[in-house]
Amino acid sequence: MKRLLGVALGILTAIGGFVDIGDLVTNAVVGSRFGLSLVWVVAVGVVGICLFANMSGRVAAASGRATFEVIRERLGARAGLANLSASFLINLMTVTAEIGGVALALQLASSVNYLLWIPVAAVAVWLVIWRVKFSIMENVTGLLGLTLIVFAVALFMLKPDWGSLAGQLVPSVPEQETAWTYSYYAIALFGAAMTPYEVFFFSSGAVEEGWNVKDLIQSRINVLAGFPLGGLLSVAIAGCAAVVLLPAGIAVTSLSQVILPVAEGAGKLGLAFVLVGVVAATFGAALETTLSSGYTLAQYFGWSWGKFRRPAQAARFHLAMIVCLLVGSAVLATGVDPVLVTEYSVVFSAIALPLTYLPILIVANDPQYMGKHVNGRAVNMLGMVYLVIILVASVAAIPLMIVTGGGS
Amino acid sequence: MILGDLLGTAVHDPDGGWLGRVADARFVLDGTPRQLLAEPRLLGLVVSPHSVASFLGYERTGLTQPWPLANLLRWRHRGSFLVMWEDIAMIGAGSVRLRPGFIRYNPQLDDRGQE
Amino acid sequence: MTPSKGPLAPAPHLAGRTLDAQLHLMDRQVLDHDGVPVTTVDDLELSGPAVDEEIPPGTPAPVLTALLTGPVLGTRIFGGRPPSARLIRIPWKDVAAVDVVLTLGVSGENLDAGWVERWIRDKIIARIPGGRRDPR
Repeated sequence: MKRLLGVALGILTAIGGFVDIGDLVTNAVVGSRFGLSLVWVVAVGVVGICLFANMSGRVAAASGRATFEVIRERLGARAGLANLSASFLINLMTVTAEIGGVALALQLASSVNYLLWIPVAAVAVWLVIWRVKFSIMENVTGLLGLTLIVFAVALFMLKPDWGSLAGQLVPSVPEQETAWTYSYYAIALFGAAMTPYEVFFFSSGAVEEGWNVKDLIQSRINVLAGFPLGGLLSVAIAGCAAVVLLPAGIAVTSLSQVILPVAEGAGKLGLAFVLVGVVAATFGAALETTLSSGYTLAQYFGWSWGKFRRPAQAARFHLAMIVCLLVGSAVLATGVDPVLVTEYSVVFSAIALPLTYLPILIVANDPQYMGKHVNGRAVNMLGMVYLVIILVASVAAIPLMIVTGGGS
Repeated sequence: MILGDLLGTAVHDPDGGWLGRVADARFVLDGTPRQLLAEPRLLGLVVSPHSVASFLGYERTGLTQPWPLANLLRWRHRGSFLVMWEDIAMIGAGSVRLRPGFIRYNPQLDDRGQE
Repeated sequence: MTPSKGPLAPAPHLAGRTLDAQLHLMDRQVLDHDGVPVTTVDDLELSGPAVDEEIPPGTPAPVLTALLTGPVLGTRIFGGRPPSARLIRIPWKDVAAVDVVLTLGVSGENLDAGWVERWIRDKIIARIPGGRRDPR
């Protein structure tokens, strides 16, 4: 029974933890402009993140090494530093976006300006990282994030024409958009689903919680059940936008527009749920990205790290995270639009993907690290297919950003 | 000297012909015994004619996955060889020169990363 | 001196364990004897030979004397060289085991490689309330 509860808790946490500000904003933007014609990208991204999160978790459980240690060891100091610079900057952008997301959601709930919520959110993130046990932190934010299921509920209550909605699932460029913007948002959605911080966090979390190979089945169930269900949540967000905003000609540019369809479909109660869900999801992701900033730096330079240690025993790790939170808050204090930061962060994520996923794939085949838990043939084939997809997305991202003027 | 200075240095034969670059340095743990591990003695240098980038772990014969990545990396390091310390005439700032009659040994390691 | 065709001669068999610098040592995590991360191997120091000097035949092979860390990482990536006095060394005699990590046989607390960590701990992190609290 206890074991079953553990499995259920793991899955629920994975669902609730899957969606972050990047998924919320990108899916709503895409839904409001492209309907459901990009849902296939979410599916491709979810399979990819399942594959590589699982692989990085297996490397961590079998060898005790988290992803960025592996990146440094295999790519060497120079290419490792290039990856660190890119990953760290994107991470910092994502931290900024998530804190902004928490603040915006709190503004919607309280009508107090979001700029006043920023220091509150940043301090709260720091306090949780400083004091709260890793497993409690994960479970609480994950479970609260589950309230985002209200997007799916709202979609049903909006009573859409399911036939025409299903008709949108065919990949096609809507007439008011170009093939360029379509491709640009395809990459953004892919980047939002496969953000590298998820594997940094996932593999480091495995070390934090002291996984060994016996825990691999549990982790596999969490990933293989939780992430696809989280992906369905993403689709529901896009679906809500496609039903309410697309016909009205509203292209999403703010968080209030993201949750507008929920208010319309599920009323005041739905609105309350979605606000709790957005705060929990972005707060949870703010924790994950802040920790990931610390993890990547510490693992590259070989510092002591981990929430399982006293802060004083991982001093540089904790200092780095404090600095990241300060920088993120300072950027937001300039009044830059957090939604815009989010939109760019997911595209930049797509650019940094290859240097992160290549070393994981290589080391997952190395018996010195893995013993008998090396990748099977099928996993390797799929891994290589994804490496090609990732490479294409990465190379195409910047040109598409320039051609489309950032998707506008 | 510092090993980082040696890696990537050009390697020439005694007549000044270009052989490749130093891709790695091989040590063997049979030097003076210390409390914990013996001192690693420089056995020789791995010279790679085509690429100085890391083997990413594919110097080991048993590592063939994932296809075709493993094959690609091994192909980039085709023609690489191990040259013993005894066959090195001089290590300079920009070049390593070998002695006349130096021998190219197979640089590959076994699955455990051993010769 | 024509490039040899066909298979190369196998290297002579050795009694000791072989370590390739790039493959087994460089950029690996270094843990102290309690399993606490100390640093990564940023570079390695050899006992010789003298640069740009002819090596007389029969010269004993140089040995690996120390793991290096600190500013040497920056110069390895961007070029240049820190003065020898600024190299932070972990002498090889302190290394206890080489696996996917290098484990030291000593505590990290007294190593030069840990001074930045200790400074930040003592001056900043330990002074924040709860900084020494065990999270478990």
